[in-house]
Amino acid sequence: MSGGVTLLLGLLVVAFVSSMLVGGRTIRGFGLPSGAEYLVLGVGVGPHGLGILPRSTVHAFAPVFVCAAAWLAFVIGLGYLIVGRRRVHVTRAVTGIVTATLVGAGVAAALFFALHALGVLSGFPRLALALASGFVGCETTRHTVRWVAERHGAQGKLSDWLADMARASALVPVLGLGALFAFVPDSPLGAFAAGWRVGAGAGIGTVMGLVAAVLLGREFRRDESWGILLGTSLLAAGVAMRLGLAAVATLFVMGLTLSLVSRHRLEIKFMVQGTEKPVLLPVALVAGACVDFDALPHIWALVAVALAARLLAEVVRGLLLVALVPAARPAGPRIGLGMASTGAISLALAYTLTVRLPGPASSAVLLLAAAGVLLGELIGPAELRHALERAGETHAVQAENEMEPLSLPSSALRASDYPDPQRRSDFPEGP
Amino acid sequence: MSGHGASGSKGLGTRAVQALALGVTFGMLYVATRLTPELEGELGAVAGVGFLLLAGTLMSELLETIGLPHLSGYLLAGIIGGPDVFKLVDHHTVNQLSPVNTLALALIALAGGVELKLSTLRQVAKSLTYAMVVQSLIVGVVMTLAMFVLGRFVPSFSNLATGPMLGVALLWGVLSITRSPSACMGILSQTRAKGPVATFALAFIMSSDIVVVVLVAAVMMLARPLINGSGGFSLHDVQDLGHELLGSIAFGTTLGLALAAYLKLVGRGLLLVLLAIGFVLSDFLRYVKVDATLAFMVAGFVVQNLTAQGPKLLHAIEQTGGIVFVVFFANAGAHLNVPLLQKFWQIALTLCVLRGLATYAAARLSSHLADDDAITRRWSWSSLVSQAGLALGLSITIGNAFPAVGEGFRALAIAAVAINEMIGPVLFKLALDRAGETRREEAEISRTSLLPPAEI
Repeated sequence: MSGGVTLLLGLLVVAFVSSMLVGGRTIRGFGLPSGAEYLVLGVGVGPHGLGILPRSTVHAFAPVFVCAAAWLAFVIGLGYLIVGRRRVHVTRAVTGIVTATLVGAGVAAALFFALHALGVLSGFPRLALALASGFVGCETTRHTVRWVAERHGAQGKLSDWLADMARASALVPVLGLGALFAFVPDSPLGAFAAGWRVGAGAGIGTVMGLVAAVLLGREFRRDESWGILLGTSLLAAGVAMRLGLAAVATLFVMGLTLSLVSRHRLEIKFMVQGTEKPVLLPVALVAGACVDFDALPHIWALVAVALAARLLAEVVRGLLLVALVPAARPAGPRIGLGMASTGAISLALAYTLTVRLPGPASSAVLLLAAAGVLLGELIGPAELRHALERAGETHAVQAENEMEPLSLPSSALRASDYPDPQRRSDFPEGP
Repeated sequence: MSGHGASGSKGLGTRAVQALALGVTFGMLYVATRLTPELEGELGAVAGVGFLLLAGTLMSELLETIGLPHLSGYLLAGIIGGPDVFKLVDHHTVNQLSPVNTLALALIALAGGVELKLSTLRQVAKSLTYAMVVQSLIVGVVMTLAMFVLGRFVPSFSNLATGPMLGVALLWGVLSITRSPSACMGILSQTRAKGPVATFALAFIMSSDIVVVVLVAAVMMLARPLINGSGGFSLHDVQDLGHELLGSIAFGTTLGLALAAYLKLVGRGLLLVLLAIGFVLSDFLRYVKVDATLAFMVAGFVVQNLTAQGPKLLHAIEQTGGIVFVVFFANAGAHLNVPLLQKFWQIALTLCVLRGLATYAAARLSSHLADDDAITRRWSWSSLVSQAGLALGLSITIGNAFPAVGEGFRALAIAAVAINEMIGPVLFKLALDRAGETRREEAEISRTSLLPPAEI
């Protein structure tokens, strides 16, 4: 069997197992919210581990994985403004975006100075590495908030705040990377100014989102909808990739447009959200396989600087939340550390960057993103749980009963408007 | 095939929106390909798949208004966007999509097998036997004679002596009796037709695969000494044929039982199981020289007739196939060699007309002999005109086996198959409509959705 077939078969098995795990019969809250276990698995089977997945094989299928990453962005864009059945609160969303930008800027600045001090890279690659690392590391995966809420039965104003902020934070890395792609030298659209290129990426997403909305607008039929959604998203992603633009940003905009203008936004959201985890896990695995521990000199020092900067920025975020949000005051400034979990979008963006801009700088970004995911996994959920406990939003009985996470409060179950009660998976947003 | 709504339920506004969306689809890829003409290959493939899927779906919806089958819409979208017209999808992309073709053919064979119920086969056994013999004989003989006479006008064959020309004619004759399971399944899946014409078409076309495999092998043995002027009959060829047939049946039976066990014991993740079958198992079967189409058909037949899991498997295939088939047929359209068709269209069209007439005459005669009902007698021929992947595959096999005449043979076959591929589905759908076997209301209700991977 060829390497390509082996890879596809392996990924099929991963997707199969993951689809089993997220199925209705599995334990709620099973697995890690960021999918970090698949990242580690990817490192294990990649060139730095067992060598089962050689880099050349992964590179041969790069467009497929970029498409998968773009699809994740589409799903996130589609549900960007919606939690369960309710709309995301504007104030909370703005707070999420602003604080995520501050976190990203902090990490980027720290890395830029560290690169300068260590004499690593120069010019555009140095700036790109710092900015990209800041962007990919500034989101808070929305699954962490939900995961903690489901396992510990958290409910309340602070939980809602954090859920909305986490969801809104995805905008910063997606648009940041989209803009960064437009500034890349030797772009196929080199004849146009960078502003036009950013506009082109967003424009393609908007147009295809409108096309999908119009085609799905008159009557919603699942059979037609899948053909239209896949066709429009693949076309948008393919055209963006061909023009050297960020397919993830384009598809995020497409999803966002669709959710803004389609009257069937909820049906579409519930239709596609089941695909998120089966797509995410192979992407996380491949991203893990592409991690290069020798990307740059002093790489571990850079990793340490980035992680320390992130934690520091999160504490600052916590202070800001305590100062601005009354519901966050009982939780204390450490609540910021509870927002440190990064996940799907970080890995997807970092991986996409390595495909679009292969080289030591982008490899370093992927390594930093992977390290951020692991650190976030270690710190984020635990800190979030403690913060919510301090805020009195977890149910003590259920918190003690962690081995039985099926004990989700009925009110939380009702909040999920997934149409089929037999199929409540990890993904329909509870909180 | 993806199960779109009937035309009656969609007004002018919907059609206008679809036409506009089709224009945007073409326009967006047109601009992208003109801005970056030097970028082909992998980056073009993603956009190409999206284009084929979206344009195929929209084109099929628009052509539905004039009564054409969806399959024609998929083909037309592929032709227009393909490498010979607007060049939105390049040759590299078309070739890169060959795994989709493999998957689609595997799904079609599986679905074909599942659709073949033993009880139905018993009902049409008499018609089937007569039709198989008469069609093979009459179409084979007529087309052999036609090629023997008309071959003189084909540049590649004009200088051949009588012996080699007879060999080429025999090969053409056997190629002419191949049908298109994919086109048949495509039309039946879209229309949900039920009735004697649909039943006959399905049973005949699926079971004729075995006959074609045997006949092609036999005729190639006959043609070898005529064309090459050396060699003769070899028991080794018969042994290979037997190995292929028995191997396919044995493998298909095993696969069918395994599938049934999986469906019963696990029953989830069927999309991934079907993808694994389509991508991996097809390659494996080719490696061990087993006929994948026959093996998958037998597997589907076993699941349907020896277990209770048939409906479940068919449901899963329909869910998976909806999108795969659009890309498959649109890619077939993009694959269509328009320059070659322009070059050979007169002779290819003549051969197609003669094949159509022979098929019609053979159908009437076999129906008369089998004492079929009036509807079968009148319309059964319509499903037998389409030719597609099987004929093209055989033409490549024949071309490789006879390099002296292979290139010309393959070119002519591609041109003729292109014509049959475009006309056949239209005729079949028209016949089903006229025979009253397409029921739109039922199609609306029973069409299944393509669920996301996690849900199958």
